[in-house]
Amino acid sequence: MPKHDTPLLDELEKGPWPSFVTDIKRQAETKPECWDILGQLEVSFVDKITHWKHGGIVGVFGYGGGIVGRYSDMPKQFPGVAHFHTVRLNQPSSKFYNTAKLRAICDLWEKYGSGMTNMHGSTGDLVLLGTTTENLEPLFYDLTHDLKQDLGGSGSNLRTPACCLGTARCEYSCYDTASLCHHLTMHYQDEIHRPAFPYKFKFKMSGCPNDCVASIARSDFSVIGTWKDDIRIDQAEVAKYISGDNKPNGGAKSNASAFDMERDVLALCPTGCMRMKGDELQIDNKNCTRCMHCLNMMPKACRPGLVKGASILCGAKAPILDGAQMATLTIPFIEINPDNDYEAVIDVIEEIWDWWMTVGKNRERVGETIQRVGLPTFIKVLGLDPIPQHVKIPRENPYVFWTSDEVPGGFDRDVREFRKKHAQ
Amino acid sequence: MPLSDDELKDAIVAKATKAPKPQLYIKDFYKCDPDSKARRIKNVANELVREERLMFWSSGSTTMYGIPSRIKNEDDKDQSN
Ligand code: SF4
Ligand code: SF4
Repeated sequence: MPKHDTPLLDELEKGPWPSFVTDIKRQAETKPECWDILGQLEVSFVDKITHWKHGGIVGVFGYGGGIVGRYSDMPKQFPGVAHFHTVRLNQPSSKFYNTAKLRAICDLWEKYGSGMTNMHGSTGDLVLLGTTTENLEPLFYDLTHDLKQDLGGSGSNLRTPACCLGTARCEYSCYDTASLCHHLTMHYQDEIHRPAFPYKFKFKMSGCPNDCVASIARSDFSVIGTWKDDIRIDQAEVAKYISGDNKPNGGAKSNASAFDMERDVLALCPTGCMRMKGDELQIDNKNCTRCMHCLNMMPKACRPGLVKGASILCGAKAPILDGAQMATLTIPFIEINPDNDYEAVIDVIEEIWDWWMTVGKNRERVGETIQRVGLPTFIKVLGLDPIPQHVKIPRENPYVFWTSDEVPGGFDRDVREFRKKHAQ
Repeated sequence: MPLSDDELKDAIVAKATKAPKPQLYIKDFYKCDPDSKARRIKNVANELVREERLMFWSSGSTTMYGIPSRIKNEDDKDQSN
């Protein structure tokens, strides 16, 4: 029996697609508090405003993150959701679970929460939706003791690091993303569980420029696999793509015979750095931007080079205060070396943190700090030399002022004395 | 010269006690010791939470620090309306 009438929500059950309204009604058969989610949402549809409140002092002892306090502002009408906290669980790197683990997590959540989940949140966590303050400590005890499962990050913490499948499943991958992700997760446990920063900070790792975790758009610190040397070309396989014996795009296109080397590959290379000389595919690798197009179209014929590492991009964010922003290429090539515990990557991370923790304003993402002070300042902080890729529009500003230490031999000038000469 | 751990802890607690609002950003504590790096101040503030002399307060997207009695007071007021 429905506890509330929800005529507006019921509209969302019409049509052939899955409906969260149907799902929540089914869950409400065993978890009656779920009716109050629907009841409150129906009121929100009418009032055109949310009736959820965030925040407060919920959490488990010793942790300053991982649980997001959620309350109804209509607790009398909807007591089932008076407290309805969200719990974030740190997903395994590359999200490899077995079904036994998923069942165990779901069983525990039926016991202590609403049973509703969201897999996965945009930080990558397994998100468990809806429990009360009293249930948090017992849930956390069972999670950590029986399931060996920790919470993820929230608030002004390092958020749960996330990565693509990487070398575990994908031949494009230029480094082992799961291993770097796991290493950073363990190395920065304190930053994940306790607030450390002016605002949230996210790491995301992709094995190649296809960037399957969208790190370039969704992380403050994005590590994207790349290579330094030449694309490896197998000319015999190139010939098979041209003859139609190899299906382009790994067979993803339905009409494989339509493949046209000129139209589908050469003309779409963004830098125009490819050509056919007779039967031979040639690439001017110095001008290749590693866009992945030719590799994706002809995976058997073109593969990443052998000198592999990653690019570091900084400062992506969603539209919260200012608009959304993509990450900026900061370091074009960095060594990814598990044998020295990823020293090169860790050094850059801590250089950025030391600077941002001091210079960043409260609630300012590192990308906004970079925007405020300018990329040249950020590059100087990291001790990097500017490279052409840092420049968005060449010579947009014709007024270039050099400081004394930027000019060989330097110079000595008293600006006040200088200006006196020009006084009217 | 950076303050000792105990001096820094006392300075942080004093600041959180006197501040006009019960919840403070981690950055608000940096001024307690200009000679210490930000990450040290963060670590000492988190130790104070383990000692229950401070507690975390979360807005959902940002986490703040405060004296437990001051924060609980305000939270009770908030929950009752
Ligand atoms: S980002 Fe690249 S390496 Fe990672 S899964 Fe996608 S295609 Fe493979
Ligand atoms: S990866 Fe992109 S830029 Fe490089 S050669 Fe292939 S299509 Fe051109």
